[in-house]
Amino acid sequence: MKVSYKWLNEFVDVDIPYEELGNKFSLMSQEVAGVYSLTDATKIVVGHIISKEKHPDAEKLSVCQVDVGHPVQIVCGAPNVETGQKVIVALVGAVLAGFKIKKAKIRGVESNGMICSLNELGIDKKYVDTSGIYVLPENSKIGSNPLEVLSLDDEVMELDLTPNRGDLLSVMGVAYDTAAILNKELMLKVPQIVEVDEVIDFKIKIETKKCMSYYARVIKNVEIKESPDWLKARLIAAGVRPINNVVDITNYVMLETGQPLHAFDLDKFETREVVVRTANDDEVIKTLDGQDRNLLVDDIVITNGKVPTALGGVMGGYDTEIDEHTKYVLLESATFDPISIRKTSSRLDLRSESSMRFERGVDPNRTILALNRASEMFQNLASGKVLSGVSNVENNNLDDKEIKIDLTYVINYVGYNYSVDDIESVFDALNFEYSRDNESFILSIPSRRKDLVTKQDLIEEIVRIHGYDKIPLTLPKTVSRGGLTTSQLRRRKIRNLLQGFGMDEVISYSLINKDNLYDFTIEETNYTELLKPMSIDKSVMRHTPLNGLIDALKHNIARKNKDLSLFEIGSKYLDTEKMAVCGVLSGVQNQLSWKGNYESVDFYYVKGIIESLLSNLDVEVKYAKPEKTNVNFHPGQTVYIYQNNNLIGFIGKLHPKYQALNDLNDTFIFELVLDDIKFQEEINKFESIQKYPSMERDIAIVVNRDISASLVLDTIKKAGKKLLKDITIFDIYTGENVGESEKSIALKLVFMDKERTLETEEVTERVNKIIKVLEKEINAKLRD
Amino acid sequence: MSINEKLKQIGEEAKKTISIVDTIHDLNNEKARYLGKKGLMAEFMKMMKDATIEEKKEIGKASNEVKQLITKLLDERKEYIENKKVEEKLASESLDVTLPGKISNVGVRHILNQVTEELEDLFIGMGYIIQEGPEIEIDEFNFEKLNLPKDHPARDMQDSFYISDELLLRTHTSPVQVRTMLEYGGKEAIKIVCPGKVYRRDDDDATHSHQFMQFEALVVDKMTTLSDLKGTLLEFAKKLFGDDRSIRLRPSYFPFTEPSMEVDVSCSKCGGSGCNMCKGTGWIEVLGAGMVNNNVLELCGYDSKIYQGFALGMGVERIAMLKYGIDDIRHFYTNDLRFLKQFK
Repeated sequence: MKVSYKWLNEFVDVDIPYEELGNKFSLMSQEVAGVYSLTDATKIVVGHIISKEKHPDAEKLSVCQVDVGHPVQIVCGAPNVETGQKVIVALVGAVLAGFKIKKAKIRGVESNGMICSLNELGIDKKYVDTSGIYVLPENSKIGSNPLEVLSLDDEVMELDLTPNRGDLLSVMGVAYDTAAILNKELMLKVPQIVEVDEVIDFKIKIETKKCMSYYARVIKNVEIKESPDWLKARLIAAGVRPINNVVDITNYVMLETGQPLHAFDLDKFETREVVVRTANDDEVIKTLDGQDRNLLVDDIVITNGKVPTALGGVMGGYDTEIDEHTKYVLLESATFDPISIRKTSSRLDLRSESSMRFERGVDPNRTILALNRASEMFQNLASGKVLSGVSNVENNNLDDKEIKIDLTYVINYVGYNYSVDDIESVFDALNFEYSRDNESFILSIPSRRKDLVTKQDLIEEIVRIHGYDKIPLTLPKTVSRGGLTTSQLRRRKIRNLLQGFGMDEVISYSLINKDNLYDFTIEETNYTELLKPMSIDKSVMRHTPLNGLIDALKHNIARKNKDLSLFEIGSKYLDTEKMAVCGVLSGVQNQLSWKGNYESVDFYYVKGIIESLLSNLDVEVKYAKPEKTNVNFHPGQTVYIYQNNNLIGFIGKLHPKYQALNDLNDTFIFELVLDDIKFQEEINKFESIQKYPSMERDIAIVVNRDISASLVLDTIKKAGKKLLKDITIFDIYTGENVGESEKSIALKLVFMDKERTLETEEVTERVNKIIKVLEKEINAKLRD
Repeated sequence: MSINEKLKQIGEEAKKTISIVDTIHDLNNEKARYLGKKGLMAEFMKMMKDATIEEKKEIGKASNEVKQLITKLLDERKEYIENKKVEEKLASESLDVTLPGKISNVGVRHILNQVTEELEDLFIGMGYIIQEGPEIEIDEFNFEKLNLPKDHPARDMQDSFYISDELLLRTHTSPVQVRTMLEYGGKEAIKIVCPGKVYRRDDDDATHSHQFMQFEALVVDKMTTLSDLKGTLLEFAKKLFGDDRSIRLRPSYFPFTEPSMEVDVSCSKCGGSGCNMCKGTGWIEVLGAGMVNNNVLELCGYDSKIYQGFALGMGVERIAMLKYGIDDIRHFYTNDLRFLKQFK
């Protein structure tokens, strides 16, 4: 809502600069987007064109002698400039929309200023004619300020309204809050109509509950012409384009009262009755903008008893439109159901100043006021004769609603020790009617304030007008033990560990392209798809954060950052949401450049990260090579991770084909589904430090290459029994010293007993036993 | 040659020969040559076996002196050789200590998680519990129980990502508040914060993102007041933006709170005098807050005649952008390392 300073001053005496009111308004009512002048033009005066001659060297230019109090010569290019006109002259030194007027020679002829159009003064093109200079009324005083002549010497306060404050979509509504903020008297006017000696003969019928009231007057002998300058200036200030006096008056009164009006050309109306009903299913109406609109049964139509003549509350009909020949006007002031108006205007994408106000609810007590105010203006500005009487149907409940509120409630709710006087002065400032019994108030809520329904709503009124700054600063008395949950603590721990392993954290989008849904999925599963995605690229919820991680990888590689180690802790969206930690690694991880130490990440580097991570989380797992996996994974370098036979994640290298297709170097990925892992609940208790020495033995065995390390380790563990405390693989060898299909594995075995020092013999015996079992179960040979 | 002369000669010789020995091995040979079983001193003593007791006494004394001298010479030389060896080793191990070292890569946490953790820790310090909830939410919890019935203008289908008529990507973390209130069953006091991802139907540009992170707080108790909200907001502003900050409240509107307000924090760049960052106003709009609407309390099982509460909510991106001067919200989700690595 844009509010003219002059207009507002008709209702409240704003005795402070508009800018200052804007600041107060922001703190006590609604956010002010800005306060600005209608035009910033300086050094402009009314001039009188004394003579006009053709420019000797330019076909389209005229050389004008202009009296601005003293004579000046101005070269003008406008086609409509004529001798005798009163015009707007920007003198040398004037600044128009940031552009400075200088003394100049135009094709050899001296020019000392510029004759202006309104657009050149900074008034937007959409409000004014731009085909030539603006011609002022003949009686304008030479040398005076043309902005004053045109009433453009005005300022605008632009409000950013929240949806609950529909009452501020009117100058009157803004005046009520301004009066409260400045603690000033509100000045309301009663329209003065002189009805002619002819009684209105018009029937109103309302056949739908979606129309709550309908008021009409008839005005005859209307003379269609341009509106006076002051009226046009106010419409421009409010952001509405002036059209002609009849249309402008309906818009003006809507802006002033918040009640939308509509004027029909009664000569085109055919009948003398209005029937308001819902549309029939196959009905069509041509609206003012010339478009045919197909209607539904939810839409409200104003009909002449036969066909629709307007789309109720949204837009008038083309066939009964006011034009330059209109003489006989039916003026409508009605109220409609907000929800119905919103549905119709949003379905037809037809959002008008009128529908916007009905959607937020208009004041039913201003319906008749607006009708009379417009009639008064028809009478004064369009030579209209107002017929006697009003045709109307009123179904609104016009009784004020009551809210009861106690002082103690307010004090306990806000935490400020208000007095009875504080409360009364707020209610008085807002022009509320109320009664008080000791510390208890009963308010009758004015119909203009649809947002006031509950006690809480009244508290807002008290707090904002009395001042938010007066409220003290305290902290809640609620005592509770704050903290993170165990899963939140664990996520923080994982984040810190991975950070310690040199990995950088990313956050990526959850919505992805459906084509990429299964790129990194290892199980068949459902997916979540949007009903109406904004784009194909963001249409389904990802199965794994790996999609976003790979995107991040590609983004950085394309920017010459090839050594990457990224992770994300985020949701997988399957049948349910599951929290996962995922990572992608590519390129060199730890380097010492001048030593030529450029070791690229490999499978075991990544597996080491996962092993360290899981060990730090006290999670014991088993690794197994899958028989079949995602086609985008390297079949020989993918391992699935199990906890008690439940799949909880995987580590893998991307398939060379996928890498080539996506311009990636060797890339490794991992996923651990945190919500699938069973974490140890009890804490680790202290174990006393070992008193007795351990004994180490190194052995090297030769096995078939197909035998996995985990099988070897499991076999040794089983055979080593209690004394075997630790096994480390310290070398793997394939080559000429072993058979072609064989490999040699070197292991360090550590033996220990908590209770005593071990004897050499028993350890040797245990090692021999292990070797025997290895021979038997996996056909291993001891290497010489 | 007298005996004494003989001894003196051995001593003199030892001085010469030991002082030129360079290795421990040669030194051991010298030791054997003078003091060994078949060494010069032993030889000398053998020669003296026929001397008288008196003579022996004298010789014994003199020879002991020489032995001591030789031992001393040997020890000194040993120390010298060892020191020399250490020095040589040190010299050979000398490095260009100005060459760069091998860097231990330490990763960075995403700046949004850093800010979220900072917020979490601030509120945990004030006794709040962190609550989380699903991102795919039912309409009832995302809207209806928050005083946004089906035909409410503020919940246009166009503004949300619906999955079905009843299911959508949550548009705020407030459904976590709903879930908590329902879980607490209208009986216990509530003091929680809810961080998390939310989704809105916005085209991505410098100031909009279809996915972003929210951080909300909710307190419900029998005597929770607007002044408690104001005090809490000031604590937040000081912790995040500095001890000199002040706050100001302006009326606003959210369906789930009444009164509702926008919260401005005094500009951290100019301190409130007005600059380009705060567009000359001295204040920066940071978050929204309000007293929980009684309808919401009732819909979530709390008797509004007994309980009252406050809620506040902010965009984590906005906080991070203000705090670190980040100019484009898309940076957070592009994951360019040149961006991420700036926040250690």
